[in-house]
Amino acid sequence: MHWRTRSRLMTALLGTLTVGFLLYQWLPVFTLGLLSFSGPTGGTTFPMNGVSLHWYRELIEASIMNDFKPPFGRSVLLAAACSVVTCVLAVASAQAMRGRFRGHNLFFYLLLLGIMAPGLLVGFGVAIMGRLLGIEPAWNTTAFFVQVSWTLPFGFLVMLAIFNRFDSRLEEAALTLGANRITTFRRITLPIVLPGVIGAALFGFTLSYDEFPRTMFTSGADMTLPLAVMAQLDRELTPELYAIGTATTLLSLVAILACTLILVSLRRTARPGS
Amino acid sequence: MSTIRPRSLPAYLLALPAGLWMFGAVVMPALLILWVSLWGGTAFGPGNPITLANYERFFANASYRGLIANTFLHTLMLMAITGVLGYGIAYFLVMKVRSRAWRTALFLAFIIPFWTSALIRAIAWVPFLGVNGVINQALMGLGITERPIEIFLYSRTGISMAQVSLYTLMASGPVVYMLAQIPPSLREAAMTLKAPPGVVFRRVIFPLTLPGVVIGQVLVFLSVMADFATVQWIGGNKIALLPNLILNFYEGAQLRAAAVVSVVLMACMLVGTFIAMRVVDIRKLGT
Amino acid sequence: MEYDLEIVALRKKYGGFTAVDDVSLRVGKGQFVCLLGPSGCGKTTTLRCVAGLEEPDEGDILIGGRNVTQDPPWERDIAMMFQDFALFPHMTVEKQVGFGLEMRKWPALKRDKRVAEVLKAFEIDRFANRKPGSLSGGQRQRVALARAMITEPRLLLLDEPIGALDYSLRETVMIELKTLQRRTGISFIWVTHDQNEAFSLGDLVVVMNHAKIEQQGTPEEILQRPRTPFVAGFVQGNNVFHGKVEDVRGAEARIGTASGSFVVPVLDLKPQPGQAASFSVRAERLRPAPPEGWPNRLATSCRTVEYFGSVRRYILERPDGEVMKLDQFGAEPAFLMAEGAAEIGWPTEAGVLHG
Repeated sequence: MHWRTRSRLMTALLGTLTVGFLLYQWLPVFTLGLLSFSGPTGGTTFPMNGVSLHWYRELIEASIMNDFKPPFGRSVLLAAACSVVTCVLAVASAQAMRGRFRGHNLFFYLLLLGIMAPGLLVGFGVAIMGRLLGIEPAWNTTAFFVQVSWTLPFGFLVMLAIFNRFDSRLEEAALTLGANRITTFRRITLPIVLPGVIGAALFGFTLSYDEFPRTMFTSGADMTLPLAVMAQLDRELTPELYAIGTATTLLSLVAILACTLILVSLRRTARPGS
Repeated sequence: MSTIRPRSLPAYLLALPAGLWMFGAVVMPALLILWVSLWGGTAFGPGNPITLANYERFFANASYRGLIANTFLHTLMLMAITGVLGYGIAYFLVMKVRSRAWRTALFLAFIIPFWTSALIRAIAWVPFLGVNGVINQALMGLGITERPIEIFLYSRTGISMAQVSLYTLMASGPVVYMLAQIPPSLREAAMTLKAPPGVVFRRVIFPLTLPGVVIGQVLVFLSVMADFATVQWIGGNKIALLPNLILNFYEGAQLRAAAVVSVVLMACMLVGTFIAMRVVDIRKLGT
Repeated sequence: MEYDLEIVALRKKYGGFTAVDDVSLRVGKGQFVCLLGPSGCGKTTTLRCVAGLEEPDEGDILIGGRNVTQDPPWERDIAMMFQDFALFPHMTVEKQVGFGLEMRKWPALKRDKRVAEVLKAFEIDRFANRKPGSLSGGQRQRVALARAMITEPRLLLLDEPIGALDYSLRETVMIELKTLQRRTGISFIWVTHDQNEAFSLGDLVVVMNHAKIEQQGTPEEILQRPRTPFVAGFVQGNNVFHGKVEDVRGAEARIGTASGSFVVPVLDLKPQPGQAASFSVRAERLRPAPPEGWPNRLATSCRTVEYFGSVRRYILERPDGEVMKLDQFGAEPAFLMAEGAAEIGWPTEAGVLHG
């Protein structure tokens, strides 16, 4: 076979594989979205039995049994809290890493462990710890504690990447102009890395909002949204879950979009003097 | 010179809160699990005698041993599938797509689902896999089968199908990164030295992406080993792997047993990661 | 006559941008050819077409008389040296240099022997078991060269091969490469934007601009007889004038420009009155206070003087605002003072009419 034909064949093959996988990956999500608009008698699969906003209305006018509003409120509050704490700690620890203190490698791996360790084991472990210490598990105490250990490492990695690209000559310039370290950090460093910090915050928000393996063991009686969805899934799969899934996915997409835009704008402003 | 002095006290102080938090929320719990797994007696509290009896009981049960093997096999299969699929996609995106806009679009289409809820994505598979699901409807519509096939939902096949869509990105991402690092001139140099494309791939491209492949495989390994959720939702209560056992024991208030399985799972993951890092000695690549 | 390389009417487009336009070139046996031009002029694309790394849209490429236009790089009798050397980061120097022989399926024993010889010849045998990451720029350059030369190709293509080296190393490496080329008889096609490299190394210098060949010839021809205003302007030390032919008298033509009209020899050209024309005068041929007999004179003002040691260069402003350069042997006392009016001129035979 001619070498050029063979190369084109390879491209076609890999292209088919890629496009095929993308379809495979997206079709269920689209189906979910589509089925969430089915009529009141609609089931959990095709045919759709009419088109309506019935299941979204159901979400809003829910009975006490499957009311997703309180879990949603808790999830948003928890995610916001995680995102703020993640921001502060991530900036602090990334700045600390720039100081190359003794043991900074160990510190790095400690944070990485938060990503690598399976949520199931972390959640279970924290549940045991809570019981040993006699702490009643609750969504705003133990669950918050364990969720930050999940969101913080990602924020930390984002900030590390941001500081990596940061040109520290800008700080040197400020220091030679008579600003002390704290003023320089506040007036020069922080404004420049701010878009990255916001990115880390949004990142932390979505991670916390979608988290379930850790929360499952540590949230006590009042559930967060993913747990409420799981509970409903155990009882019965209804198009209502599709509606909530669609809404949640759209929310995540908005957050990702914002995140991307911020990172792109950062890339533009991070290059000094050009 | 920067806003932080190397090895200064402020550097320690800034690192301290995050360090303590991570230690308290990740390292301590792991140690506690290990401790609880060694408890004798029946009470919940620090006064229990230390014993290996819990482990003996666990390993004496043949079905549990089988579960470990099963979990490993299932994970290995997923590593193989996502590895091949992920490499192919990464290679296509980086090396074959010429237009920048297309590459960005395809890459976003690839990566975006990763940032949405895994729970929702797993639920999304249910209408696909059921007896009256989309796949069966399509198969019957195309005349490939006459009656719906029941192998999808509540089966290994269905679980694997969902997991492939969840984890291929993990296998692919590090490879994309490594491929993008390779200067095009290396390929060209190999070609002018008389290496045809297959040899260029085998001798230059693949060895240079090997670290990415290994990292991707480790990520998939860790994720699938611990993925109780997909197994539970797609598999119903009919299929269980090692992580589901933890949950079952926990819900049955058998904390010691749950801790034992947790330690076994942790050990498996550590050993697997260690082997992966050993199998490919990054320093000896390509010699 | 057998040619190592023939390029016939080569054309290459990227979308709407023409990178190489109707380029033809013949390289005889064992020649050192330099493709010279500003960045984006198409010299690298031409080289990559020869290597087979780019597919030309039109035209033919013959290596050693065989048409290879449709052949992939790995089937052409060439080797290439890249600007960044393109060393394989995961292979030791030994493995790297032996790669080409391995691809040609040399038996291992014979290959090891040959690699050892080449490493010794290039004085890199000390690094045989090291990887490129731990080598200096000069050592990498040697490894890249050894890797390309070991297969003894008919053509060696070099894309700015010393551009990545420290300035102090370049001179030495240039001399070594020239000697190596002479000794091996392999034709070198050397792409560069540095005219010093091109003129000191090339048997044949090919000046390119805007995807086309402007002029090709020996270094002397290009320096003494630039054929186009671009070549004259690109080669250092020329003053270029644009204008119209006013009239032709025997072997001399009068060219009217914005700065006045000047007499130049017609050389082998046949200028017609009314035609657009350009000519150039080398900076070292200009003199201040020209003698009575010189027909070419010009009132200028001196802006500044640059002293290079061997040369003193006066930057002069022409009446039309353009800048001119006048060079003087550095050891002589200065002709002119900076910032003053100066009349300058040149003998008729110093002018070079383009075309």
